[in-house]
Amino acid sequence: MEVFLQQLVNGITLGGVYALVALGYTMVYGIIQLINFAHGEIFAAGGYMGVILISWMVAQGYPPFVCLGVALVLAMGYCALLAMAVEKLVYKPLRSSSRLSVLLSALGMSIFLQNGLMLTQGVYDRAYPGEMVQGGFEIGGAVVSYMQVVIVGITVVLLVGLNFLVFKTRIGKAMRATAQDKTMSALVGINSSRIISLTFAIGAALACAAGIMVGMYYGSVRYDMGFVLGVKAFSAAVLGGIGNITGAMLGGLLIGMIEVFAAGYISSEYKDVFAFIILIGVLYFMPTGIMGENVDDTRV
Amino acid sequence: MKRALYFLSLLLLVSFVAVGCGGEKKEEKKAEAPKATGIKIGSLSPLTGQYAADGNDIKNGVLAAIEVMNPEMGPLGPVTLQAEDTSCDPRQSVAAANKLINEKVTAVIGAYCSSATIPAAEPLMAAKIFMITPASTNEKVTESGHKFMYRTCGRDDDQSKAAVKFIQEFLKGKTVYLVDDKTTYSQGLADNVEKLAVAAGLKVLGHEHVNQGDKDFSAVLTKVKAAKPDVFYVSLQNSAAAAPMLIQIARMGVKTKILAQDAVYHPQLMELAKKDAEGVFLTFGYTDKETPSYKKFADAYKKLGEPGAYSAYAYDSAVAYLKAVKAAGGTDPVKVKAELDKLDFAGASKQIKYKENGDSGSNYVIQVVKDGKFENFWNPENGQLYKK
Repeated sequence: MEVFLQQLVNGITLGGVYALVALGYTMVYGIIQLINFAHGEIFAAGGYMGVILISWMVAQGYPPFVCLGVALVLAMGYCALLAMAVEKLVYKPLRSSSRLSVLLSALGMSIFLQNGLMLTQGVYDRAYPGEMVQGGFEIGGAVVSYMQVVIVGITVVLLVGLNFLVFKTRIGKAMRATAQDKTMSALVGINSSRIISLTFAIGAALACAAGIMVGMYYGSVRYDMGFVLGVKAFSAAVLGGIGNITGAMLGGLLIGMIEVFAAGYISSEYKDVFAFIILIGVLYFMPTGIMGENVDDTRV
Repeated sequence: MKRALYFLSLLLLVSFVAVGCGGEKKEEKKAEAPKATGIKIGSLSPLTGQYAADGNDIKNGVLAAIEVMNPEMGPLGPVTLQAEDTSCDPRQSVAAANKLINEKVTAVIGAYCSSATIPAAEPLMAAKIFMITPASTNEKVTESGHKFMYRTCGRDDDQSKAAVKFIQEFLKGKTVYLVDDKTTYSQGLADNVEKLAVAAGLKVLGHEHVNQGDKDFSAVLTKVKAAKPDVFYVSLQNSAAAAPMLIQIARMGVKTKILAQDAVYHPQLMELAKKDAEGVFLTFGYTDKETPSYKKFADAYKKLGEPGAYSAYAYDSAVAYLKAVKAAGGTDPVKVKAELDKLDFAGASKQIKYKENGDSGSNYVIQVVKDGKFENFWNPENGQLYKK
């Protein structure tokens, strides 16, 4: 029971992070049917921006929560700009060409960004300053650290905010309309180019927040951290039904849980294997993922 | 007219290419000029990827050795270094070794990971090129009977003996839990410790394997916490992997003594894990930092940064080879081998004297992290604590 509770807590933390990154994959796929392989690198760039900003602010003597809040907002803005620039420079000129060429340029962009991080930030692990949030409490033998509470809290706020944005605002309506039919939505006066840019920006901002939280949680960032997490988050998006926002959240949580429970009860050596076995199993019976790819209302 | 313009521009382009080529060739010749008379040594270590910190330490150690030895080489010099990246990957390591063979190096210092050293040794040995590893501690490295294979660091069978002795005699532990990340080195060492621990009558509560590059150890640590071992033996491939584990151990409130090994030994550990690294025990070769030869090394290393775990061993490996070349009066492998086997000098890390199989003996002691620094703690030879 103690092990079960502890793994549940760990699984929720890990799953939340996967969900945040998975959303970027799923939203971009929903709107232009592109698997944006450079998304994992945006996540890593966010982690680095976070460490730069937080180190600087901690050195200036600001209290930890101010540092975290300001760094989160600024870094999310930076990542949004970065993703929009990538979209404008690399993907937009290729929008009318075949899907394969856009996919390849996304792969190239991923390598370019990862090497850019390596050259500018160095090959070593970079440490986050101190533990921003210390201590924790115990429920039924399971230790819940305040760091986990903060991570889950930020994740929930961001997910609720995203849901509100997509389903309750005019911008969200425009996004959903563009996802359903680009030509038709343009005919009724939606600037689809701007909406696509915005989708990239929102996805990147979420990944950026995830990058900072991963950096704080594990204490360090490295230039290649986006690759493994990117693959897992992408699997989460596929598991939930790529293109489906609710699906990505669910998929992220599921992959996190499966990983942690497989490691806890079977073997940590094979935790990735189990995550992918479940992925293949689900796709065998539900080829479009758990929530389905084509639920028009929830597709962005 | 138009056609003439196109032709002219084409000519211009081609001539630029030709000029470019010509320029490069000249540079190549310049680089080749000292090569013909000097000594070229290679280094193999992970310069990028997760083990980059240790890899660059090795490269810098060799650079420091070249700086110290260059004035002494006389007509044999100058010595140049070709540093290649293995990424700690067996395939890339073999490719890098082949590249060094083509570059006509006469000795290779490296590699770092045992899993990269063992396969890279095959082509190097066939080409009669010396391979002196400063950091690969797996027993198999020197057990293939290669003539030109040397090792400046210790061996894992000795390291595991020191570890188990410490657990039993000093920590008075009855139960052990082990974790490794499945590399030739880390798993080999953990298996050795497990075997010796069982033989010594200790109870092994579990032996988990994690994946290389993992940062989330919560699942393993939950199991460790529930098992309540006296000692938790951490055999991970480097400090960047061990740091998140220490952070999570502290965060989850796992109360156990922690013993790690030589790959985790790196100043980066305290930088990344900060206060959570306090009190961690590690096995590492004993180095007296007050000897004149260590100070000579430290002086030469100064402008390259802070020495890492294996900088001094890489320095000693290169110095040993160059000393042997000097004594042999050339780079003929057979003559150099005869001289290398005769060597007996005070290196920066320890007394360097290679044995028949290429090993140089182990001198593992227990170190502890105290106030953000590594300190000598316990000597398994006599069971005594080091005095401060």
